[in-house]
Amino acid sequence: MSADTRPARPGQDHPGQNHPGKERGALSIAGLNKSFVIGGRPRRVLEDINLTVRPGEFVSIVGASGCGKSTLLRLIVGLDADYAGDVRLDGQRISTTSLDRGIVFQDHRLFPWMTLEQNIELALLNTDTPKERRAQIVADHIALVNLKGFEKAYPHQLSGGMAQRAAIARALVTEPKLLLLDEPLGALDALTRVHVQNEIQRIWMTQRSTMVMVTHDVEEALYLGDRVVVMSPNPGRIRRIVEVDLPHPRDRRSPLLHRLKDEILAELTSGAGQGEEEPTNLVHLPNREER
Amino acid sequence: MTGLLSLSRAPVRFAIGLAAPVLLLLWWQWQATAHISTFAPPGAVGQAAAALIRDGTLLNDMLATLGRAFGGLFIGAPLGVATGVAMGIWRPLDRLLGPLLHGLRQVPMIGWLPLIGLWFGVGEGTELIVVSMSAFFPAMLNSHAGVAQVERRYEEVGRIYGFGTAQRIRFILLPAAMPLVLTGLTQSLAFAWIATIGTEILTGAGSGLGVTMQLAQTQQRLDIMLVTIAATALLGFVINHLFLRLRRRLLRWQPSSL
Repeated sequence: MSADTRPARPGQDHPGQNHPGKERGALSIAGLNKSFVIGGRPRRVLEDINLTVRPGEFVSIVGASGCGKSTLLRLIVGLDADYAGDVRLDGQRISTTSLDRGIVFQDHRLFPWMTLEQNIELALLNTDTPKERRAQIVADHIALVNLKGFEKAYPHQLSGGMAQRAAIARALVTEPKLLLLDEPLGALDALTRVHVQNEIQRIWMTQRSTMVMVTHDVEEALYLGDRVVVMSPNPGRIRRIVEVDLPHPRDRRSPLLHRLKDEILAELTSGAGQGEEEPTNLVHLPNREER
Repeated sequence: MTGLLSLSRAPVRFAIGLAAPVLLLLWWQWQATAHISTFAPPGAVGQAAAALIRDGTLLNDMLATLGRAFGGLFIGAPLGVATGVAMGIWRPLDRLLGPLLHGLRQVPMIGWLPLIGLWFGVGEGTELIVVSMSAFFPAMLNSHAGVAQVERRYEEVGRIYGFGTAQRIRFILLPAAMPLVLTGLTQSLAFAWIATIGTEILTGAGSGLGVTMQLAQTQQRLDIMLVTIAATALLGFVINHLFLRLRRRLLRWQPSSL
């Protein structure tokens, strides 16, 4: 009963399964390998990644720092085209960035020299959205992330949670087939996190675009994801894929979520010792992730 | 606490700013009465100022000096910003021109005066070239640094939204570099001002604060020299103040701009 209780457009409740021919936002990763040259010798950061994401699905990726999950998102969004294997969106191999794919980074990356409104409208610059409709679309997206009244604010005047919601609005305004979220809530405090998690769930339920979110917070991964991909480091590999068979919107107190959380945590911590240089833990070491 | 607060009130701040000039004036009066030959008393300077204002000399001088300074600034600074931005964006140009420009800028602007004077003769052309060059280098260096320091994370946002080169320059590089570009322009302004007065003193003909200064020296007119110095200080102060206000307005997006 995973997806069928979602409020969906008629005939689209299982887009990937019911309409295999008419795909929108189907991501397929096959035999993906990625290495960086560190200190003169290549070091593999992603090894044999295989993953298929159905259109409209929400997939979370969790793993310890250094498991290459952020690198994986950079490859999918097209900021780095230097990889072996295949990453395809709706059958097309990804080699550069495209307006089909949006991303929200951990740091909001709004341009500090522009107001919230200008930042979001700038995302429409190279779309074929008619100029006269842009202001309305921007206003709608500001409303979508509950930031009405802050249109003219500069990023430094927004709180961390507000700036991150603004970044989500900017990523959504181009209506990407696939939205990537790279630890979007990593820098927020616990209460704001819960709030923005609820918001992301609500937005995803209304927009129904495919979303892939990287996080180091297992609870967050389970709360939002239809599936949770568990990765292990050195080199980054997919260790397990967990189905979260619960309807959205979800109840955080659901026993299933808690059982799965314990399982995944056990899985992540039992791997200690395998990766010799780095203990497999959930402590986030910011510098480790930077290639 | 209230004492500290009141210190930052505008009228109080203004009065504190006036204290040093008033003290200087008192010291000057005392010196002038003690050594009558090397110091003109404030009263005499006031009379000289009144005379220079009445016959229009002071106004003419100020306008001529302002014209030279801004003429040079409006040629040198935009060229400097354009060159700096181009070098920051396009590395081959940096490699090609960087060493040459960094070498040339080691020569103080007044050092160019004899050579340029030889080529172009003593006159407005030479002065304009020297002032333009003075304005060029700070603008060029700071713009270059500003563009080179633009954070990659912002560039990536541009890539994600498919920005072309022109869009990248207009929406990312220039605004991100703007704080340093404006720092460069502030320096250009100061350098152009110094170069203007300097060239006027050294080569001056016609009107100009520096020209009158030089003339007053040959005539041993201390009062006139002091009037022109005060006029130079006042003009420079006002221009700088206006520019800083413009800068604050342009950088209002910064959490705490100057």
